[in-house]
Amino acid sequence: MRANLSGVRHFFLGLMLILPLFGGTAWAQAQGQDTQAQRQQVQPGNNAPTWRKARSSVEGYTATKGRETGVLIQSEGETWRQLRNGPITRYGGWLVVLMLVAIGVFYAARGPIGLHSPPTGKMIERFSAFERIAHWAMAISFCVLAVSGLTLLFGKHILLPVIGHTLFSWLAELSKTMHNFVGPIFLFSIVVFVLKYIGDNWPRAYDLTWLVKGGGVLTGEVVPSGRFNAGEKIWFWGGVIGLGAVSCASGLVMNFPNFDQTRDVMMLANVVHVIAGLWYIMWAATHIYLGTVGTTGAYEAMRDGYVDETWAREHAQYWYEDVKAGRRALPSGEPGAAASATATAPPQVQH
Amino acid sequence: MARMKFLCDAERCIECNGCVTACKQENEVPWGVNRRRVVTLNDGVSGEKSISVACMHCSDAPCMAVCPVDCFYRTEEGVVLHDKDMCIGCGYCFYACPFGAPQFPQTGAFGMRGKMDKCTFCAGGPEMDNSKEEFAKYGSNRLAQGKLPACAEMCSTKALLGGDGNVIADIFRDRALKRGKGAEVWGWSTAYGKPDKPQQEAPKGAKS
Repeated sequence: MRANLSGVRHFFLGLMLILPLFGGTAWAQAQGQDTQAQRQQVQPGNNAPTWRKARSSVEGYTATKGRETGVLIQSEGETWRQLRNGPITRYGGWLVVLMLVAIGVFYAARGPIGLHSPPTGKMIERFSAFERIAHWAMAISFCVLAVSGLTLLFGKHILLPVIGHTLFSWLAELSKTMHNFVGPIFLFSIVVFVLKYIGDNWPRAYDLTWLVKGGGVLTGEVVPSGRFNAGEKIWFWGGVIGLGAVSCASGLVMNFPNFDQTRDVMMLANVVHVIAGLWYIMWAATHIYLGTVGTTGAYEAMRDGYVDETWAREHAQYWYEDVKAGRRALPSGEPGAAASATATAPPQVQH
Repeated sequence: MARMKFLCDAERCIECNGCVTACKQENEVPWGVNRRRVVTLNDGVSGEKSISVACMHCSDAPCMAVCPVDCFYRTEEGVVLHDKDMCIGCGYCFYACPFGAPQFPQTGAFGMRGKMDKCTFCAGGPEMDNSKEEFAKYGSNRLAQGKLPACAEMCSTKALLGGDGNVIADIFRDRALKRGKGAEVWGWSTAYGKPDKPQQEAPKGAKS
């Protein structure tokens, strides 16, 4: 084998030495055979340039009008197939599973973040009705998109073998339709949410302290923050705005194929969309955990709009102090100092 | 069992679009869908070649691999078919296909996709052979009638061949051998010389 290889190498070395002897003419001739017209002058019946062209996604003429109908063979599809069916599905799927397992382990080891002092029984308004509607419009549409998206990506491997072709195709059809129609609603709800919440998510110097101390999640220390802590702010900017913009933009490219966008654009959008979407789902899982079982009183805050004053002092100290001192209004717009007056009569919340 | 294949002879295709028309007529395809099309490379210049293209019924079909509902299947003869009842119109097969075969009739505003439609090698779909339901969804099932695809049958120059891969490969090989290359392609040997025949001598005797 080695002898053969060295033989081949010698042959090519020899060729390299001999070729210049023939001068530039042979080389020029070979170069001139790039087009079919030139090739068939020298080698009639040799259609290699035509087949090369057919393979190269060059657009020819066709009487069939439409997007890319003049392309005989496109190669991007195979790249997309390998990416989507390969690493994206495999590693993406396992990452989501890993994230859920990690959250479960964290819950088992750390347990929910509770209050350090006993609740006062005095309630303070944390979110106005409009803020809660804005949050839940976004949250519910996100969950619909997440579940339908996961069904379309992993259902073939997980659900289809269990529930069969007929039922799964019905479920997938429902998922596709929901995904396509809820997507734009999600985009709209993000815009409303961001406009409403951006003020309280503006980065402050004390956010760095909070980050350095990890929010006191592991040490149990109460770290002061504004209305939202640094973790929530990162989720706001990176998740809601960052991943929201990427997944919505790439989603719209695929959702409205009526603008003559070509296949490679839609496939690129698909890859970006799936990666951003999976990242979004994993990050949202941590937010959902911390907003429900992970933090005592957090879910009630977003459901009813009220938190105990102890909760407000421990989770959003600077905001709480501002409201109590009358430096800022309550979320619904009432003057902040009024909070102490009404606090003696906490609102009755129906659970 | 035969492995069904398409073969287009670029030396013969004259871009008459007879195959496209034959397919439309035979299968009554949905409006806006062309299961087969003819593409001309180097159009209008020397070296112009035309190729008729449709679903090639791939062995490792990308459409089948990416379909999220697994609605594709392959017949014993290697024909790639799909079940329109299961298709959700996501467009993934259209992304993945190298030949641009899968197409979607528009069923709503904003380019909303309906059920995918593509060449069936004139082999219908999962419904009962040659039933009304099968024809309405997939068109003609000529294979079940012992016939080959309408496009290839109709081809005026027999550039497009469709059938058992071994048979059409033999036809094409014979053709390529006979056609040869160089001057023979253009019939020089036919026109100017048959060396194995004795040279025709000039008529003898005085001219009248």
